[in-house]
Amino acid sequence: MKIVAVTACPTGIAHTYMAAARLEKTAKDLGHEIKVETQGALGIENALSDHDIRQAQVAIFAVDISVEGRERFKGMKVIEVPLQEAIKNAPGIFQRLKS
Amino acid sequence: MALEFKFACPLPHGLHARPASQMASLANGFLSECALTNLRNGSTANVKSVLSIIASDIRLNDECSVRVNGVDETVARSALQRFISHELPHCDAPLADLLRSQPSRNVPRALRSAGVEICPGIAVSRGIAEGDVVMVGNLAAPPELNKESRLDNGHEQERVTRALAAVQTRIHNMLARRTSPTEIGVLEAHLAILGDVSLSSGIMERIAQGRSAGQSILEVNQFFGELLRKSESAYIRERALDIQEIGFELLEEIYGARRDSSVQLDRPSVVVADNLPPQQLLALDRKWLKALVLEAAGITSHTVILARSLGIPALVGVKEPLRILSPGEHVIVDANRGFLVRRATPPAHKFYQGQANTLRHRKATLARHAGRPAVTRDNHRIEVAANIASTDELGAAFGNGADGIGLFRTEMLFLDRETAPSEQEQFEIYCESARAAGKKPVIIRTLDIGGDKRVASLNLPAEDNPFLGYRGVRLYPDHQQLVQDQLRAIARASAFGSVQVMAPMISTIEEVRWFKEQITQVQNELLTAQIAFDPAMPVGAMIEVPSAAFILDQLSNELDFFSIGTNDLNQYFLAVDRGNPKVAALSNVRQPSFLRFLKHIVDEVHRAGKWVGMCGEMAGELQHLPLLLGLGLDEISVAGSDVPVIKERISRLSLGECQKLFAAALECVDVSQVDALLSSNGRNASPRTLLDRDLVLLESDSATKEEVIREMVDAFYVEGRTDDPDRLEEAIWAREEVYSTGLGHGFAIPHTKTDAVNAGSIGVVKLRKPVEWGSLDDKPVEMVILLAARDSDAGGAQMQVFSRLARKLMDEEFRSELLRARDPGGLVSFFAEELEVTV
Repeated sequence: MKIVAVTACPTGIAHTYMAAARLEKTAKDLGHEIKVETQGALGIENALSDHDIRQAQVAIFAVDISVEGRERFKGMKVIEVPLQEAIKNAPGIFQRLKS
Repeated sequence: MALEFKFACPLPHGLHARPASQMASLANGFLSECALTNLRNGSTANVKSVLSIIASDIRLNDECSVRVNGVDETVARSALQRFISHELPHCDAPLADLLRSQPSRNVPRALRSAGVEICPGIAVSRGIAEGDVVMVGNLAAPPELNKESRLDNGHEQERVTRALAAVQTRIHNMLARRTSPTEIGVLEAHLAILGDVSLSSGIMERIAQGRSAGQSILEVNQFFGELLRKSESAYIRERALDIQEIGFELLEEIYGARRDSSVQLDRPSVVVADNLPPQQLLALDRKWLKALVLEAAGITSHTVILARSLGIPALVGVKEPLRILSPGEHVIVDANRGFLVRRATPPAHKFYQGQANTLRHRKATLARHAGRPAVTRDNHRIEVAANIASTDELGAAFGNGADGIGLFRTEMLFLDRETAPSEQEQFEIYCESARAAGKKPVIIRTLDIGGDKRVASLNLPAEDNPFLGYRGVRLYPDHQQLVQDQLRAIARASAFGSVQVMAPMISTIEEVRWFKEQITQVQNELLTAQIAFDPAMPVGAMIEVPSAAFILDQLSNELDFFSIGTNDLNQYFLAVDRGNPKVAALSNVRQPSFLRFLKHIVDEVHRAGKWVGMCGEMAGELQHLPLLLGLGLDEISVAGSDVPVIKERISRLSLGECQKLFAAALECVDVSQVDALLSSNGRNASPRTLLDRDLVLLESDSATKEEVIREMVDAFYVEGRTDDPDRLEEAIWAREEVYSTGLGHGFAIPHTKTDAVNAGSIGVVKLRKPVEWGSLDDKPVEMVILLAARDSDAGGAQMQVFSRLARKLMDEEFRSELLRARDPGGLVSFFAEELEVTV
């Protein structure tokens, strides 16, 4: 499955990147293709292009604050979870993709 | 026929003790009666009495009229008028720093969670100490007073005269044993009160009206005490206690009971009182006196001033300490933060043990720099010397690693006394300094008075414009004996160390030649008398008058060295009186014009092959360090206690970068541009690595989350990565409160963005026993990694590293490697390699 994701937390120093790393690793283990945009203290990195978003079947928002550029994902299936969830139980999030 | 004139009080703190005593001593030189009326409140005062002047509660802008009546009224009036218009405005008490340095009252998180009772107060003398509470009650009249029988007037008055003399003798005896200028100052103030005409005449009058000696003393005491307590000025209110103490001393003298023996300390003690009279403080056993807790004492009271000079931690403004605390109760006085800790629990004791260690280590870290020469990263050495005003300060100067005494201000030896110190007395003082310095240089500046500094023994006339008048070296030719006595004392001391002599306020070459002639003459006399001296003693001059800066080539033919006095130089250069609030903002040493002027001076001196230092206030401010290095000074001379931190900061700077910074500052068009340059480039000039083995603590005994965070914050403080550990601690907890940074698998990653850190840093703590952190997997943590970035560094390279580290921590292999680390150095190199940073 092709997946896009966004991670963001209030201070944007650590958890944003930990969650991104976790999602990337889990996706790889489960045989999915994923691209994760981080919205942290460094600004937006690894930004999702319209092309990336159009290609993907689903979007994961692992965020504690509102996502910048949310309108990019309009009409798309979005799974939104608290950021901690991605760190604590990333496989659980991917489970929900199937339903 | 009486003469009258009016004036408005120009002093912001009102006509307080110091100007009042100058005014009274001036008035006492005349036979005429001098009466003053405060037109605001109608109270009248005898100008010859300090007590009476301050009791009339003259505040800023109060209209007053002075009436002079007697044989010398014309001279007396013009002297008083001159004093009031020209000198009074400059007579303010230098106590502002006491008010400024009040630390925050925030209770650190680690202590807040320790379950103790906190009694807030105001820290007035810094330090942390603990001990058992010893209560000291208020002054009370001796019980014998009520049982006394009154004798005739003459006899009663005789008792008072004897008591006055006895108390005076006793204070003189105390004075003889003291060397600290602060202690001497307070005791001399007490002598002045004892000698005040209003005090004795008030007592004698009441006896003549039929009261007993004791009753009269009590009444006069109450009268003045109440007058002073009614004052709007805290400074004056706080003098009430001094008068009260003297009154009770007189009573005790008459009725026997001695108070000194009433409070005996026999173990580490925290003395608690409503207020503690200064002499009573001096009488306490210093060995056991650990801290003071006072309810009513003011921050400018003599007791508080003494506590500061003796290094005794003190709190004031604690609510009803005599009622709340119990005698013998063990308390901790935290006068770094401004509160008292009761019912200390084991975690609280652990916190304070940690604090003691931290403060000791921070001192030791700085001391490593103190003992070494101050050398920049690119190997440029600059001397860091200390300024002193008395031999009291020698210990602090050399204990803190001063490379010498850059300025010994000798005028302090002449101020506040009736006669000038003798040659022998001065010799002993200079000699003590030379000996304490060993091979290090001691620059002794000869008497610099006039301007705002007055010396009673010289009887100098009042001037319209004292700063442009008869001061410094300009009055030397009229006081040749005084100058020669001092030079002879200095020359004799030169046989005992590396003594250098420096003249103040030089503006022409004639002054230098005259000064040198005196030295030659004195040295010839010593030669004849076969008294040892150093014939090669270097002779230098202060650069504080702009004219001197333009004849440095010529002065260099006569002199060996120069020292820039930035306060006066700046004021003369910019034509600004720093004491005048309307123009004070102009007198900024970072004016680009002034920086260019300094550059001219240093270049000229160096062109002539001579040495130049700086001893003014500008030298002591950390923010100026990069500029001063860039300027090319050979030495800076600062307060002794600041030597270690200045040396530490120099070790982080690079001369090359400082020179570039200074060149850029010379091109700035105003102060704000210079300031902006300093805050951006200043930091770049002192980069620090993110990681440091001293921030890696692999064997932590911390038992709670609070303790772990505190331990890290303290390590940052020891390493100079924060100067405000309490604020850093708060910032870390603010993030923790959003949700725990425990990420599971035994790791936590607290992080913060705050300018409470001096540089972006990574700290690591590995715990001996896992600690509960509220982690995502509900398991305790074994390793804690703290990421601290500066606000202004956000988005920079440090955040990149932090984000890489955060990602890596999701990798099990990386985590196991971290847990396997056995030594800090190994862990730092592992981090450096994985995160691609240099260490």
